[in-house]
Amino acid sequence: MTITTVRSGTVVARGERPAARRRRLSRGRTRSAWLFLAPFWVLFLATFIAPICYAVEQSLFALHRDGLGLTAPTTRFVALDNYVRAVQDSEFLSSLVRVVGLGVVQVPLMLGLSLLLALLLDSASVRWPGVFRTLFFLPYALPGVIAAIMWSYLYQPGISPLAKAAGQLGHDVDFTAPAMTLPDIGNMVTWGWTGYNMLIIFAALKAVPAELFEAAALDGCSGWRIAWHIKIPNVRGALILTTVFSIIGMVQLYAEPDILRGITNTITSDYTPILAAQKASDAGNYQYAAAQSVVLALLTLVLSFTFLKFTQRKGAGE
Amino acid sequence: MRSSWVRGAGALLAVGALFTTSACGADSGSKDTSHKPAGRVNLTFWGWAPGYDKSVAMFNASHPDIHVTFQKTAGGSAGGYSKMLNAVKAGNAPCLAQVGYETLPSFAAAGALQDVGQYANKSKDQYVDWTWKSVSVADQVYGIPLDTGPEAMFYRADLLKKFKQPVPTTWEEFAKVAKAIHKADPSVEMATPPGDGYDVAGLTWQAGGKWFGTEGSKWQVNIDSPESRKVAAYWQDLLDAKVLKTTPALDAKWMADADKDKVVAHIGAVWVNTFLSQNLKGSAGKWAVAPLPQWAKGDKAGANNGGSSTAVLKGCKDQKEAVEFADWFSRSKGSVENLIKNTGIYPASKDGLALPAVNAPSKFYGGQKIFDVFKEAAADTDNTWQWGPTMAQVEADFTDGMKKAIAGDASVTDALTTTQDKTIEAMKAQGLNVSKG
Repeated sequence: MTITTVRSGTVVARGERPAARRRRLSRGRTRSAWLFLAPFWVLFLATFIAPICYAVEQSLFALHRDGLGLTAPTTRFVALDNYVRAVQDSEFLSSLVRVVGLGVVQVPLMLGLSLLLALLLDSASVRWPGVFRTLFFLPYALPGVIAAIMWSYLYQPGISPLAKAAGQLGHDVDFTAPAMTLPDIGNMVTWGWTGYNMLIIFAALKAVPAELFEAAALDGCSGWRIAWHIKIPNVRGALILTTVFSIIGMVQLYAEPDILRGITNTITSDYTPILAAQKASDAGNYQYAAAQSVVLALLTLVLSFTFLKFTQRKGAGE
Repeated sequence: MRSSWVRGAGALLAVGALFTTSACGADSGSKDTSHKPAGRVNLTFWGWAPGYDKSVAMFNASHPDIHVTFQKTAGGSAGGYSKMLNAVKAGNAPCLAQVGYETLPSFAAAGALQDVGQYANKSKDQYVDWTWKSVSVADQVYGIPLDTGPEAMFYRADLLKKFKQPVPTTWEEFAKVAKAIHKADPSVEMATPPGDGYDVAGLTWQAGGKWFGTEGSKWQVNIDSPESRKVAAYWQDLLDAKVLKTTPALDAKWMADADKDKVVAHIGAVWVNTFLSQNLKGSAGKWAVAPLPQWAKGDKAGANNGGSSTAVLKGCKDQKEAVEFADWFSRSKGSVENLIKNTGIYPASKDGLALPAVNAPSKFYGGQKIFDVFKEAAADTDNTWQWGPTMAQVEADFTDGMKKAIAGDASVTDALTTTQDKTIEAMKAQGLNVSKG
């Protein structure tokens, strides 16, 4: 369709004044640009913006029943009541603190590992970089829920080959013990996402201009010092990007704890904010679930933008 | 992580509607006759129990005018119920759904069920009286009862013999045996404690308590009752003595341990019988079933855990056909025999209870006629128990409380008090009249 537009544009354009021709051509181009963008916008509006608006609207209402409530409930406008309840809901608040706390520990560890792997892959002495790149990336290719189920088997006492191996070395490891829950989850997330983040950082490394390395080499800089002084500062953008992605991912933690709930007694039904919202909607309280979701979205926004602002200011100060 | 955000948020932002539309097909209750013989009614049925599909296939073979499509969902509280409620909210729910008696009042209170009394009432006398009450709220009938969940004690006859212990008939004996066996061999555990709200509810039911009641237009919540506390204190004592198995009951590890002779007994409902017989290999033939231990010697109090209906969801257009199917599903000989064998149901229909399958000896249970035990338990169960209108919340909070208790972070009694408080709070927040019973 676009091809015909362009072609007819050229045909009609013959013998016209150049300006008019350009205008007509650009109008055709704008139209085809919109055409190409349309699928994105349709999906973006329908599956992203519309649900957010719907959630915000729902969050301003509350279920209401009378007496025994044996008939279908009605909803009433309650303004911000659901939000007041959410910020006073101690379980919901502790779920927020839990994911943020986990993120503070896990995100730097994971990204440190991603950066290390990316640097190793990028170093001159690496062998079979393609093989390792694929290997590191492979966990990401596994759907999150499947990976979580796999890990839950690796953690489950009596079945876990990891615990068995540790037992043979004389260490009794119980992955389902209360103190192990957060490390368990952190490990699962790290396993799944290190390769993904590594790839982003690696791509950024590949884009560092070769002249910089030549200049550094001429100045007598080599190995780790090149990595520290040239490579890492040059992939700062990629590190910021992956940090923001990881923060967003962590506050939205869901699959890992949800699957682990089946094998451990320490994960409650509102362990993470998304689980808490899920619990409310399971109980039929979509309105409160919507309010919790909006609070979570706001927290994500605040965290991401604070981090971005912080790194920008720091970047500008340098 | 991100993909699960799509899942989690999608469901609760009701974009879930989009997924369910594609997942459940377009024929939920609508009369799409374009590709089918004229006049044929298509119904969709959501449920999770094994064996349902076989009964549905039998129905389709013998009913050319109605075609039922069975679609397997996650277990009720594992996501099946939320999927149903989401679909009702989105307006594309199937006609038929597997809904437990404990959840049916909550579904009714959420406006998710269809009153089908005008089609169903003629079958009323075919079912055990209290099961009919379980599918009704006030004078509205929401489905057809399928089965009940009389409880008993599953146990390893050979292990009790090995440790020279009697088959416990009272809870006191049960505790003694548990402690004696664990002392003799610390790697062997008697049983798991009740793991969720419904387990504790069943035991409270046996002890004579009632969690919910109504007086006039007011709900009474009695989760934290003396009877519940008696049950809680009993299991707390065994937890403190560290003689119980504290990993989840009936999961992969439990099954592996049971086959390694590390589990002696399990307190459970009749439907556990197929769970065991289908998953255990090494211990097959060594299991037996005895009545629930009693609080006082010589008592005969039964308990119930589970039991479900085939309910008609709101928005169903072919209610008459839906009821026809549900009634056939619960009552026809072939279907009930299949469901006894493959689902482990204990029928709610009077005809079903008279079937030879309910009297057949079972090889897995050493040739015992296990249904005799459940028949007695069903007869001894107080049938005035009532469920509340917010059971999804009650169950989630109670399970959290029990998990904390089993992990040793709190007591079983704490689970009672917190669940009681949260339930009253949740009910009040929805404008229900409620008081502590």
